[in-house]
Formats: sequence, C-alpha cells, structure tokens
Amino acid sequence: MKFINLLKKELSELINKQMIFGLAVTMIILMLVGNIMETTIDEAVSETYTVNLCDRDDTEFTNALAETLKASGAELKLFEAEGDDYADILKKNKIKNLIIIPEGFTDTLLVDRKQPELISISSMTSAAAMANLTNDNSGALSIIESCLTNSLALEAGMTAEDLALAEAPVTVSETTIIADKSAEISMGAIMNKVMMQNMILPIVVFVLIMMTSQMLITAISNEKLDKTLETLLSAPVSRTSVIGAKMLAAAVVALLNAAVYMVGFSFFVSSATDTVTDEISTSVVGEVLSVETALAQLGLSLSVVDYLFIGIQLFLTIMICLSVSLILGAMVNDTKSSQNMIMPIMMLAMVPYLISMMADINSLPTVFRIAVYAIPFTHTFSAMPNLMFGNNAIFFGGLIYQVAVFAVCMFFALRLFKSDKIFTISLNFGQKQKFKKNSTAENE
Amino acid sequence: MEKVLEVKALSKQYSKVLAADKVSFDIAPGEIFALIGPNGAGKTTTIRMISTLLTPTDGDAIVAGNSVIKNPEKVRECITYLPDEAGAYKTMTGISYLKFMAGLFTTNTKTIELYVNRAKEICGLGDRLKDKIGSYSRGMIRKLLLARAVMTKPKLAILDEPTSGLDVINAIEIRKMIKKLAAEEGMSFLLSSHNMLEIEFVSNRVGIISKGHLMVTGGTDELKQRYNAANLEEVFERVVLENEIH
Repeated sequence: MKFINLLKKELSELINKQMIFGLAVTMIILMLVGNIMETTIDEAVSETYTVNLCDRDDTEFTNALAETLKASGAELKLFEAEGDDYADILKKNKIKNLIIIPEGFTDTLLVDRKQPELISISSMTSAAAMANLTNDNSGALSIIESCLTNSLALEAGMTAEDLALAEAPVTVSETTIIADKSAEISMGAIMNKVMMQNMILPIVVFVLIMMTSQMLITAISNEKLDKTLETLLSAPVSRTSVIGAKMLAAAVVALLNAAVYMVGFSFFVSSATDTVTDEISTSVVGEVLSVETALAQLGLSLSVVDYLFIGIQLFLTIMICLSVSLILGAMVNDTKSSQNMIMPIMMLAMVPYLISMMADINSLPTVFRIAVYAIPFTHTFSAMPNLMFGNNAIFFGGLIYQVAVFAVCMFFALRLFKSDKIFTISLNFGQKQKFKKNSTAENE
Repeated sequence: MEKVLEVKALSKQYSKVLAADKVSFDIAPGEIFALIGPNGAGKTTTIRMISTLLTPTDGDAIVAGNSVIKNPEKVRECITYLPDEAGAYKTMTGISYLKFMAGLFTTNTKTIELYVNRAKEICGLGDRLKDKIGSYSRGMIRKLLLARAVMTKPKLAILDEPTSGLDVINAIEIRKMIKKLAAEEGMSFLLSSHNMLEIEFVSNRVGIISKGHLMVTGGTDELKQRYNAANLEEVFERVVLENEIH
C-alpha cells in the first residue's frame, strides 16, 4: 500500500501534460514523415519514366526514336530550347532534367558510323537520398540506348528473337543461403527487407536507454537537491521501496515511450520501405518466392519465442540503465551536474548503436569485438541480428553477461542507498572544505 | 517521566573529520530543545543520526524507547524530520503532497484524512493548497512542510533551521506555531538554528555545539546566569570562544 503510494507519486511526477504532448507530437511527426516518404517514393517511382526531350536534330530517325520511347511506356515531354545555358533552359521550362539530341546526331550515327553525343542535364537540388530520384536521367538514357541498339540491330538484319537473346543472354537462378538454410531469392531483396526491420530496434533501444536513464537521474538528483529525499527516507518506509518505486515508475514510463516509438517507427519504416521493396521484388526477373516466404524459409522471420527473448534482453538493458542511473543520480551535487550525469550512459549506448548501424559486430577484429561486447548495451543492439542469423551462443552469452552486470550494478546501487553515502557523497566534500577552512583559521 | 529522546555519546566519524564527538542530551515530552552552533559544528550530522538518515559511528540515540541503530524503522514511526532549506515536489499540489506524505505514515484512509485536515488547519494556506507547489513562495513552502512535519503528531519533530530564509512575519508565525504545538499537544521538538533570538523565544532548553562537541546544555535563563550574559548570543559567543582556546 505504501509502495503503491510511492509509485503513484513517482508516476505522477513523470507522466505530465508535457510528456503526453511530447509523445503525441513524436507519433504525429513519425506518421507524417512516413506519409511524406511514401508519397515522395511513389512520385519518384512514377516519374522515373518521364522523359524530357529536346530534339535539335529533328530527323525522321530521331522522331522515330521519340515514338519508340513513347511506345515503351515512358511519358515523353518535348521541349524546344536554344543555346547551351542549360541552367537557364531548365529554369525557363520549369523542369529538373532534360535530354538533348544535338544537331547532326542521326548523321553521326547512321552515316559516319560513330558514337554521337547525347546531352543529359540533371539538376541536383538536395543531398537527401530520395530528393534527387526524380532528377536522374539514367532511366530515360537506358531506354534511349536500348531503342538505338534495337534500331541498329534490326537495320543490321538481326531477328527479334536474336535481339531478345542478345539483350538477355542468360537467366539467373538466384539462391541465398543463411547458415544451413537456403531460399531461391536474390540477396538484394532479402537485404532490403531485413535491413529495414533491423533499423527499428536499435533506434527504440537507444531512445529507451536515454529516456530511462535521464528520468531516473533527474528523479534522484531532484530529490537530493530539494532535500525531499531526506524527508522521504526519514519517513516510515523502507529505502528499498523508495528505490523500487522510482525504478518501476521510470521503467513503466520508458516502456510507454518505447511502445509509442516502436509503433511510430514501424509505421514510418513500413510506409517508406514497402513501396521500395515492392518495386525491387517486381523488378527482379524470375523471382519465384515472395520476400515474406523467403524470410521464413531462411529462418529470418523471428518466432514468438525469439521476440520473447528480445523482450527479456530489452528488459535487462532497462534494469542495467536504472541501476547505473541510481548511482549516477546519487552522485549529483548541483543542477548542472545532473544534466551531465547522463554522459557515461550515452557514450556506452552510442558506440554499439553506431557500430550496429554500420557494421556487423561479429565480424570486427577480435580485440574490438571483445571491447564492444563488454558494453552491456551492445547485446541488445545486436540481439535481433544474432537471433536471425543463428548466433545463439553470442545471444545467450550476452544475456548471462547482462544479468551479471545488472547484479553487480544493483548491488552497488543498493549499498549506496542503504548506507550514509547517499547523503555524504556531497556532504563529505562540504565538510572537508569547512574543516580545512577551520584548521587554516586556527593556524593563523 | 520517560524521555522522548535520549542521546547517548553519539559520535560520527567521516573519513578524516570527527563531525560529532560523544554528543549526549535528552528531551522530555512537550519540551523544545535547540541545538545551536557555528557552521560545520555538527548540528546537522547529529540531527541526521537521530533521524536515522546517518548511522552513528559510536553511541546511540533512543527515541521513545527505540534505538536508532537497532530499530530504525520503529524510530521513523515516532519522528518527523524537516531538513534545512528543504523543498517539496513542485509538480504536486499542496493538498496532494500532504496526502502523499500522510500515506507514508499510515495506510488507513481515515487516518490519512485526519492528518491532512490537521495540516490544512495548521499551515493556513487555504485554497492555495489546490495550486501546484511550484507556484508557492518560500514562506508558503516552509509552512506547508512544517504542517506536514507535525500533522502526524509525532512524538518528536526534528526541525533543522525551521525559519531559515523566511521574512520576519513568516518566521514569527512559525515560532508561535511550534510553541503552541508543544504546549497544547505535548509534542517534543528538536530544533537547530543560527538565530539566537529565535532560540531564546522558542526553546525551553538549548545545547551549544562546537567542532562536534556538545559544550553545554541548559535552560536559556540558566545559561545566561551561568555565563553572566545579557542574552543567549553572548552565552554562545563565550562558549564557542572558550572551545576555540582549548
């Protein structure tokens, strides 16, 4: 009952209007960005086949080329433009890319039998990956090249069958193998799906680690600085229940946050990736399996038990964060230091977070791998890939290691809270100074 | 009559500093005892040991028959402690703070209500209790905390610098409140203060502490006579200087 009273107080301190507003805004932003991404990619995909063409040669051959382009399904837009101030041409016509067939193009190709020049102009408007998709001419250029090859081949007397064979001389039967399982699917398709799936967990883990730690450090340091901790600990409640209530409240709120982030991010990633993955799977020739079936066949789709293990892993990570934060929060002496106390945890979370984004931790040189795995949070960042790719020994070893780290941290946290140290970490310092001052005064 | 508090040779050694050295005194029911001394003399350390926040290195303190070493849980049921310059949870309203604190002393909802009503009456904050503590002035917070410290009618209320940082009017109100509670409710108080005027007005007996030693204890009039001093400030000065010379 007293514990519930304490827990209610901790929760009411953590869950307030600002926090709910923050969560709602995060959710809305993620959904909004997801939607924007979806529309951008859709647009990009649909606009890839729009060809902006300026035909300065204007011969029968180039006109026929334009017709073939149209017939191939590309949306053809013809422009007339003079001079070589390409920036100006794009600006005047309000377009982002243009292909110019220069004068003499047909003669160079058909009469001189040389490679004529084709002018491709693309404007780069942003450094963002998705932004320049629609500005790229490569799609249109490959269609033009293929049209020209066709014309030349037909002119040289090749049959349509020969031509088809020349264009695609082999069919590739692709098989991807993971551990001892295999599936007839290209690695690209699998990579794409798995990569996107693995993007969500590290972000959620990172957010979770940061939030839990910051909440508990602030909760403890505020109590310490406001001296409400002294009031609380002189009341007839056990110190363990005071700490327990704080830890539980921080964990509950962090999990609530994690759930919101998880939902928001999966919405964001699914809206952003589904279109891309669909495009890839439809564009791969001869793909016989759906990506989902292939994932299951390769043992990459995680079972309920796997998710349970990931859940346990995540829970342990939170518990480690909470126990370390208890110690860090107790060491705070002023408001400024309470903001900096998160630094050690942030650094420890940042290293595996960044590495797991860029590389496979298991393929790092041994010394680095041991160093990175010594950080308890690493095991959570690599939990999903380790389970997916059958590195069970590393996963369960990590789990045991995390239990050990938690036990050690919690032991020290409890010892700190149950002893005088919770007050004297800062007290000692002050008293020593006063003592020094007094003794100096005496000497004088 | 059984003493509410018996402090027996209580000592606290920090790594290099002896913050309290064999401090002994006692407090009778309904008595207001004040510990006075310069900064770093060991007042707060002594008070924290009696409040069970710090473990004594040596000696013991018995609160209503319970040892702070052997039975700290029982001690905490008999005392309340108001730290120096303490704050309260800013996001809570005054009333929810009182309810929360009352809930730490009892699980009985009726008793909680009784405690809260008592605190409401004592603090005199009226409707402002419905506001968040973050909007309170320092004086209001101190009144709220003091009401919280006495609402459970503890056998011993320990107040560290109860009026520090308050304006004269607020300080006078709080002093009167303490005197009234001791006289009418029979509550005992252990105070610490720098303010000699306050101590002279409010306490029955004082203990002067310097460099961890409790130098003298006695009634304010008795001490003035003993040191041939006009007021408590002079007594204090002489006692502290005497200690510096030794």
